[in-house]
Amino acid sequence: MPLTPSVASSTPARDEPLDTRFHVETPEGIDLVLRPASLVPRALAFTIDLGIRGVILLVMFVVLGLFGQLGMGLGTILLFLVTWWYMVLFEVLNQGRSPGKQLLGLRVVHDDGTPIGWAASLTRNLLRFVDILPFGYTLGILSCLNHPAFKRLGDMAAGTLVVYREEMPARPQLPEASPLRAPFPLSLAEQRAMLGFAERQAGLSAARRTELASLLAEPLDVPAEQAEAQINGIARGLLGPV
Amino acid sequence: MRLTDASVAIRPRSAWEALDLGVLLARRHAGLLMVSWALFTLPIFLLLSLALWRYPGWAIFLFWLFKPAYERLPLHILSRALFGDTPTLKEALKALPRLLKPQLLASVTWRRFSPTRSFDLPVLQLEGLSGQARSQRLVVLGQRDAGAASWLTVVGMHLEGALCFGLIALLYMLLPQQLVVDMDWQKLVEAASGDWLWLDHLSNLIYALVLIAWEPVYVACGFTLYLNRRTALEAWDIELAFRRLRQRLTGIAYAVLLAFGVLLVQPSERAWAAPDQAPATEEKDPQGPEADRLLRQPLTSKAAQESIHALLDQPPFENRETVTRWRFGEEKKPEKLTKQDVEGFAKLLKGLLNLAEFWKSLDTVALVLEVLLWTAILSLLAWIVWRYRDWLAAFAGRVGLPVRLERQIPNQLFGLEIAPESLPDDVASEAERLWAEQPRAALGLLYRALLSQLLHTHRLPLKASHTESEVLRLVGQLEQSELESYSQLLTAQWLNLAYGHRLPEQTLRDRLCDGWRQLFGQEVKA
Repeated sequence: MPLTPSVASSTPARDEPLDTRFHVETPEGIDLVLRPASLVPRALAFTIDLGIRGVILLVMFVVLGLFGQLGMGLGTILLFLVTWWYMVLFEVLNQGRSPGKQLLGLRVVHDDGTPIGWAASLTRNLLRFVDILPFGYTLGILSCLNHPAFKRLGDMAAGTLVVYREEMPARPQLPEASPLRAPFPLSLAEQRAMLGFAERQAGLSAARRTELASLLAEPLDVPAEQAEAQINGIARGLLGPV
Repeated sequence: MRLTDASVAIRPRSAWEALDLGVLLARRHAGLLMVSWALFTLPIFLLLSLALWRYPGWAIFLFWLFKPAYERLPLHILSRALFGDTPTLKEALKALPRLLKPQLLASVTWRRFSPTRSFDLPVLQLEGLSGQARSQRLVVLGQRDAGAASWLTVVGMHLEGALCFGLIALLYMLLPQQLVVDMDWQKLVEAASGDWLWLDHLSNLIYALVLIAWEPVYVACGFTLYLNRRTALEAWDIELAFRRLRQRLTGIAYAVLLAFGVLLVQPSERAWAAPDQAPATEEKDPQGPEADRLLRQPLTSKAAQESIHALLDQPPFENRETVTRWRFGEEKKPEKLTKQDVEGFAKLLKGLLNLAEFWKSLDTVALVLEVLLWTAILSLLAWIVWRYRDWLAAFAGRVGLPVRLERQIPNQLFGLEIAPESLPDDVASEAERLWAEQPRAALGLLYRALLSQLLHTHRLPLKASHTESEVLRLVGQLEQSELESYSQLLTAQWLNLAYGHRLPEQTLRDRLCDGWRQLFGQEVKA
């Protein structure tokens, strides 16, 4: 692995707020944010994959059953392929997504966020047999629940992560307002909060909007009733001409 | 509730990510949650099992039915821990009676089967809503994320099953082999009615143990789903950011005011003390950058420096790693021989001597054994050779070098006798002798001798089917210019004589005979 994921995310300090994000710092100093997926979506994705494999095997065995001995031989080969290579082939050739993971919006990557390769995929899928022990993925479940990045044993051995895919966000709609410049310098988080306030207006009740905006009435030096329009204007100004 | 005290990062997440946060939250408080759960539920389980000893099925059903009641305790702990006020175990257990009171009957009867149980519980317990208000609230909250809550319950059910079976399989693996062999399923089925009740209770206990691990996670996941929904509905993250912004800005305003005040009351320059002419050494300078400052503040410069250094010692600024390798054990320092060591050594030597003597007595036995072993090896080899004699006969013959094929050397070319036996010893002299009376015989003799030489000395692969010019071409391939020119001359004369009946000129006699002697004379003698 060329990159070493920052240890800070895997062993968070006690007073650091708990978060599901996993930070990977590249040598260039760029912070990549990965969002590891926990047991529930992973279990659902696995169930879907299991179902798909079951259907494939059932159909193929019915078809191959017509060919007698030859069919049984081919069926055995098929059983091997579907059991051991289904996940590996999908993960390596389909950007870390088996059909189940694709449906749940998941993908498998290396610990440093690079696409998964043959070695890692083979390792994590061969070690399923350790995770299954003693029965029904007991070790895998316990390991997944107890790991800060929700890894099962195979993931730990292979150095892989199951993360949520980055979906293309929809273009947010901002309320109409004349752009304003903020009367004080804003940090990145504060700018985001301003924009978030404007973008999420539709999901908030009017009373709640006023309550939130009045928090900033004093620093903005406007009456509480006008604070909302003022913040919308600042958000417009931050967004710039579109 | 103060959002600034929240111990989790508040931001709107997807429903699945909210579940992930729940897993992390349960993990952070795992010890407290699991111990409190075990202390609460295991006595109940014991009581139920003892009371219904004859009916293990009913016991586990009742235990299962009351699950929503047990879930109130972890939620209480989590809701307080979220804002940094983690209760101790004692406090949590003390709060239990108060927690159990509201709507207990509804929870364990008709609401027991709601798939969004964990998601609904905070509304009841933390918001204290009931009746119409509760259901309205649930409708609002359930517009999103309710699907994830149902999936959480479904996955949880299967997970409990998987963990139970896993534990049972583990126990089965730990059974002694003999017991497994002796276990007669028939007997087990028969006995199931009577003496094997404890086995049922054992599997019930396994279920109760599995719940200790899973239920805190389940409750935490439902709680974080609820939090996530409220974060989205009420924009908690924005409130948090706005509060911090206000704090920063008003704080700055106060600082500016203060600074302004200080400027106003600044005394004039004349009142300043004279500059220190002899500055103290760097360490002792009370105004120096290294000196302790801000001594009356809550955060002194010394404490700040210390925390900065502590921070710099941690990753990502400091990356220490421990590398462990295999290496040879450290050599022990030569110690002085104690008396005991010497005695021990002497004893060892004596022992060795004894052993050697004993060994000598064993020599004959060893010799016999050696002979036997060698005999066995030799017999084995012989047997192998005998066993595979056919194979060896078939293949060993081919193992040697390929036998060179004997080339068929013709005795006649163009009707001419060319065997060396048919030629005289001294060809040139014979030809000279014959030249006067029988030029044809003389030339013929020379040509025959040439062919014979080419065949036997130069090993040209001549065949009976070759023509004279083909022979010349083959000679050319030998790349011996003298031999080639001589052969050309002789062949031309021979062709003229044989087919054109034109006699060779007299002058050629010496050329041909001398040429012969030069080319082949020594070889003939030799």
